[in-house]
Amino acid sequence: MKLDQAPSAGRCYPVARTEELIPRRIAQVQLLGREIALWRSDDGAVHAWENRCPHRGVRLSLGTNTGTELRCRYHGWRFNGDGRCTFIPSHPTQKPASTLRVGIYSTAVHSGLVWVSLDPEIAATTFLVREDPHAVTLRSVFVAAPAAAIAKSLSHGYRISAAPEAAATAVAVFDDLTLAAPAAGRAPGVTFFLQPVDVMRTVIHGLVSPAPDAHERLAVLRHHNTQLSLLRDALERTAAAP
Amino acid sequence: MIKLYDYELSGNCYKVRLLLAILSIPYERIELDFYPGREHKSAWFLAINPLGQLPVIDDEGFILRDAQSILIYLASQYDAAGAWCPRSDPALLARISMWLGFAENLTVTAGAARLHDTMFYDGDVDALRIQANALFRVLDEHLWFAEAQGEPWLCGGHPTIADVACFPYVMLSEEGGIPRLPYPAIQRWTDRVKRIPGFTPMSGIFPAADAPAG
Amino acid sequence: MADDPEVESILWDDWHVVAEVSRLVEFGRFETVLLGIKVLLERDASGEITASRAGRDIGCVTLRYGFVWVCLGRPARTIVDFAECLEPDRLTASAGSVRVAVSGLRAVENFLDLSHLAFVHAGYLGEEPHTEIARYNVTLPPEGGVLATGCRVYQPKPSPMESQGFDVDYVYAVLRPYIVVLYKANPVERARKDMIALFVQPATEESCVAHILTCYLPHEVHPPAVRRFQQFIFGQDRPILENQVPKRLPLSPRAETSVRADGSSAAYRRWLGASGVRFGAIPT
Repeated sequence: MKLDQAPSAGRCYPVARTEELIPRRIAQVQLLGREIALWRSDDGAVHAWENRCPHRGVRLSLGTNTGTELRCRYHGWRFNGDGRCTFIPSHPTQKPASTLRVGIYSTAVHSGLVWVSLDPEIAATTFLVREDPHAVTLRSVFVAAPAAAIAKSLSHGYRISAAPEAAATAVAVFDDLTLAAPAAGRAPGVTFFLQPVDVMRTVIHGLVSPAPDAHERLAVLRHHNTQLSLLRDALERTAAAP
Repeated sequence: MIKLYDYELSGNCYKVRLLLAILSIPYERIELDFYPGREHKSAWFLAINPLGQLPVIDDEGFILRDAQSILIYLASQYDAAGAWCPRSDPALLARISMWLGFAENLTVTAGAARLHDTMFYDGDVDALRIQANALFRVLDEHLWFAEAQGEPWLCGGHPTIADVACFPYVMLSEEGGIPRLPYPAIQRWTDRVKRIPGFTPMSGIFPAADAPAG
Repeated sequence: MADDPEVESILWDDWHVVAEVSRLVEFGRFETVLLGIKVLLERDASGEITASRAGRDIGCVTLRYGFVWVCLGRPARTIVDFAECLEPDRLTASAGSVRVAVSGLRAVENFLDLSHLAFVHAGYLGEEPHTEIARYNVTLPPEGGVLATGCRVYQPKPSPMESQGFDVDYVYAVLRPYIVVLYKANPVERARKDMIALFVQPATEESCVAHILTCYLPHEVHPPAVRRFQQFIFGQDRPILENQVPKRLPLSPRAETSVRADGSSAAYRRWLGASGVRFGAIPT
């Protein structure tokens, strides 16, 4: 996988695998302590909204995705793709005030992942990693440990292959949340992207490249899931120990 | 007509109501005054189920307790297509049984945490939550790999009574202080269960949107 | 006591429900939390119920409407009076107590809310497309609280015995910061009102126990059916309440947006602010 050495202009973070953004659903994710309602409209656009209805604070992820709007579960208020309120059922003939809106974040799709920028001034468009259309995304692993602890653990080395003779491969660090173990032999390389959920929790997303053959795909996914789960268990044991 | 001895807020009772709805089996619902009446501990009900627990069914004199057992009976007896509890495939049947056991683990962890948090039941709720989260991790991983293989249900490409049995206490987990934020595959599975034709909700669970899935 | 939290007098020096009497009869001993204080209730062999905190007796304990009431300070007011409960042809019964992980002020406000009935309680207390909420009257009585009259909602199944829907008139009265009552016309004797009271026990700032009391004319209605219906309705509200962010009730009108249908809740928040209520709230 080729990595662009130019520094990123703004910060954006992965929050989900794109194939997990199913139409007419709303996913609940969290980034840097902010709760986000993640959804895809029927036109394919990806939306990351503050997960809180401006009416009475109910999480929008509890509501419904009509394909063009989110509908809050509490009073049925509807919000369009721009986050603006379009319909208030208790006053069906009135147009809601144009200032009535849900906070929205900028999103981008890259490398099979959905990325979110929390800064309204920064679009989620700059990535360290050049997109590889054939990369395969791993199962994202949720870890009850800070991103820094995970990055540190990964930087000590990582087994990119289940082959018994494979040793831990050196891991290159690109920034505090991006690390990569290059391909070696028949084993594809893997790039890790860390999503800080909050100060104590992180999701590890991963990309494998070159893409494994179809008949090896499941074995590769299972291998990395096992490796990341072992890393998770070790870190969580350390965190729990007095 | 099947009689179901039932309580609306019981997750175990809901397992039975859910399968009855999915299989379109008509039944008579006999709702007990569970709380605060404790009718399930009354003499007349103990005569039907000496354990004093719900749910119980009475199918024209055939009386059965235990939610998972009732699911096995209803699917075996009334599902003509044999999809919800296929008896002809021993390996599949065994996997279903394994996940029915898992459902019981969910009841005594996530279900018990819910009873503690909502209805004053005693218990070490912190320990229950730790155990429930450990189960949820196993469930999330299993469902993720099931999706990856194109068979996004607990036991293959078609939902079974295993999915029905595990659904209620997973879906109600937040009432016991167990959020599902760390389990995206579980979130997608619960959305999938809600869209099973014939799905019915219970008080505390919202149905899927009316808009058809894309 | 020396390390009492600084809870405002309007709450500290008032009575709060902490348990149903039946719970003490069954278990003899019950621990709960009120205004952040752990309270122990005990019932002795003679049937007397006492309350204590950290080993010291709480003098102000009384039983009313089938509930145990406690005052942690010195009661500035009497327990709310419901003349209806004295009427001989009424049934007065508790519909149970439920714990909810949200500020009790949110639970009171939800009870006042009309526009959620067609969504959260669809098919029972409301139904699309009958979502429009007509103007209703809100006043702040001199003795405190909020009164909302002239509230009207189309209900497909307003109570367990109804088989068809009709427009139902509601009157709401917030009597204390954590006590609210709903009156609706009895389906048979339309001139008289059935009553549902919500006594919310403020356990912590972000959790409460909702104790439900019903007082109604029992035409063809049985107490277990009434209890089950209330529990069913409350069970539908719980995931909403427990998914409100923040958990405490923001009192500033800028924090959350109200529309005209929210008249009673907007008045409730204003009254709470003017009364100095802080426990369970985010003051302006």
